[in-house]
Amino acid sequence: MTRHVVPPYLLARLAESGDRFDRAARAARAGLAGWEQLAAHRDDAPPAARPPRTGGLDRTVSDAEGREELPGRTVRTEGDPPTDDVAATEAYDGLGATHALFAEAYGRSSIDGEGLPLEATVHYGDDYDNAFWDGERMVFGDGDGEVFRRFTASLSVIGHELAHGVTQYTTNLAYRGQSGALNESVSDVFGALVEQHAAGQTVDQASWLIGEGLFTDAVQGRALRSMSAPGTAYDDDVLGTDPQPGHLDDLVVTEEDAGGVHINSGIPNRAFHLVAVALGGHAWERAGQVWYDAITAGTLPATADFARFAAATLEAAVARYGADSDEARAVEAGWAGVGLPLAGA
Amino acid sequence: MIVTVARTGGVAGLTRSWRVDVDAEPDTESWLVLLASLPWSEAPHEPAARPDRFLWVVTVEARPVREAALGEQQVTGPWRELVDRVRSAGTAERASGRGDRPGRDAG
Repeated sequence: MTRHVVPPYLLARLAESGDRFDRAARAARAGLAGWEQLAAHRDDAPPAARPPRTGGLDRTVSDAEGREELPGRTVRTEGDPPTDDVAATEAYDGLGATHALFAEAYGRSSIDGEGLPLEATVHYGDDYDNAFWDGERMVFGDGDGEVFRRFTASLSVIGHELAHGVTQYTTNLAYRGQSGALNESVSDVFGALVEQHAAGQTVDQASWLIGEGLFTDAVQGRALRSMSAPGTAYDDDVLGTDPQPGHLDDLVVTEEDAGGVHINSGIPNRAFHLVAVALGGHAWERAGQVWYDAITAGTLPATADFARFAAATLEAAVARYGADSDEARAVEAGWAGVGLPLAGA
Repeated sequence: MIVTVARTGGVAGLTRSWRVDVDAEPDTESWLVLLASLPWSEAPHEPAARPDRFLWVVTVEARPVREAALGEQQVTGPWRELVDRVRSAGTAERASGRGDRPGRDAG
């Protein structure tokens, strides 16, 4: 591989600068490369299975103290009393609420189903307006104080990040294109369910918003996303308008955001909402059960598109509730409502 | 010469970009030094997108135009230095691309 890194135009400009930038010019000619290219981890096998644990809830919260090294300094482990760090407390409680949803609703012991210890890092970076799952832990920034508050303030976002872990250990949907939008939607679905389950909300009481309360008062917006009405979560001078579609006809084709994974997730999100509302009651009990069965069946490919995923949810509903059940009908109607009619049970 | 850094992805899925005209900056030469140190030929062919991490595209309107797409975890060394510098010194563009609001960088 050649090491020609400096375009001729820039080299010419440097040469004109005389010997003031001799070091840089020499470095440029030598083809500086100061960083390693990280290989994608997506195809790596998950960590080797640990022996099953009893109990199952084992939380550790760490503080990155404004830097970007992980995990950071341990500030709370399982059973410790709260400290006065609000973000650490929200992370600890959010890990617990997520564990509780999966254990109580689906009999799942932690995100890997085998009592995996739950790890969180707070105060990551400087003015870091984001949260993410890094394959082993959830990581939260404090926001920038202008657009975003701290990211632990939303239980649906905490659940969203941990659900990326559940996806990693189950269907491992590839994070690009339609499979990536499904990966994102699965995180929104279970993030919303964590929030609804913790508050004991019915489908009518739930907000169906992801990241409610993360924006500062300066922003014209309620949340990052709306599952019930994609495209309505925010409309702001600087941030723009919520770009999410709620129907396949409005699928966004883009190179950005790995093919719009946070954008096109609106379509399967709305399908889930329609199924949940059709069935009523607590969304995690039937609609959530169908979605959970679909991702844990072991038959969904990592590259599944919307149609394949929809079919998997119908298979799951038929398997658990029967071909003529309210649940199977609601699943069919939900997907038809977003432009993905299914062939039938 | 215009340098733009555009950020997508993240849990919020927002599109943000910042741009600077290095020829209009008081320390143009130090910008050129930094730009000359960027390892273009070793940039990944496709950015490695990780769950809810940002995705960055660095564009330098030289001749030829140079562009590199990087996952957040790949923005290290001179790439990180450039991104931080453009965000600090440059102008934040509105998400819709309607125009610039000079001096504002909302993170």
